[in-house]
Amino acid sequence: MYTATTTRRMDVDQAVDDLRHRTLSEIPRSLDRLIYLASMRDYNTGLYYHDGLASRFTQEVACQALADCHRDAFNQLVSCSLRELVAQMEEYISATHTSPRNFVTAWKKLEPYRVAVPVETDPVVAHFLFSSFKIALAVLEARLHSAQAEPVA
Amino acid sequence: MIQLIFFLSIGGLLFASLFFLARRKPRPEGSSGALIEARQALMALQAGLLPAQLVKRIFAPEDWEFVRAEAPTAVRELFIDERKRVALLWVSQVRTQIHNLRRFHRGAARSYARLNPRSEMELAFSFAGLILACRMLQLVIYVGGPYAAPRLIGSMVDAASRACKISEQSLAFLNAAQLGVLNGRPTGSAAV
Repeated sequence: MYTATTTRRMDVDQAVDDLRHRTLSEIPRSLDRLIYLASMRDYNTGLYYHDGLASRFTQEVACQALADCHRDAFNQLVSCSLRELVAQMEEYISATHTSPRNFVTAWKKLEPYRVAVPVETDPVVAHFLFSSFKIALAVLEARLHSAQAEPVA
Repeated sequence: MIQLIFFLSIGGLLFASLFFLARRKPRPEGSSGALIEARQALMALQAGLLPAQLVKRIFAPEDWEFVRAEAPTAVRELFIDERKRVALLWVSQVRTQIHNLRRFHRGAARSYARLNPRSEMELAFSFAGLILACRMLQLVIYVGGPYAAPRLIGSMVDAASRACKISEQSLAFLNAAQLGVLNGRPTGSAAV
């Protein structure tokens, strides 16, 4: 029993390393990582799927590794200052090639960050991050307004 | 006539107290369910609510400085409202979990004779002080905003962490006692 658990944990650690080196190293920002890893999760079951990782390990190990990395990305984002969060959102907008105005409008209406939270997150921590996103979006919107107003002035 | 009203009022009060006592849900004190509930409360405090990283982020003055320097009045107001809401939620969650732990220790003190009376007394005072501090903090944050009492927050977090450590030691002993019961071994610690 002990050996099986230890072996499984070692497999998960290896899968986490593999995921970090092959995939997550290409995604430097924690916001992008959070969104990417949340998109690997099936909303009906809460399980994570990654075919490449599952073929190298097992589906169960891949799922656990993705969950671990998702939690890490979430914790990294929570520990970011508001200034850093705004900067990450600006970089994320330019990486997605979306119009900043459309992006801010869509995120304010849809609040997609609400579904990007890992399972078993403390409700206060989740609420704090949602609140930070709301403020960051307001800051971005204000910047867009002032940028629009500047040429007129 | 006055006497009749007086006795009727006393009767009414007694009836109301009986009604509320009958409606109260029975709490399984000293049971494994109560132990699990207490462990969950302890975990929520130690891993979720009290880590310095989270407390530092919720009450971070640099966030306010950033918003004050970069954003218009409407965003500043939004920031203060949002941080105030999060801070109040945080304090209320800390208070709820401390209440849960206190309830468990009260029940455990009645059920186990082997508990250390000194540490239980210390815990009882700590819990009472913490609940009072939480109430004060809620009032201060509600009136003065999230940055009104940084020192009170710091000392409350320190006191709560100390209380959690003492409680954890008690829970470790109780856990061993519960396991003894489950394994069919007499623990010799249950009070009559």
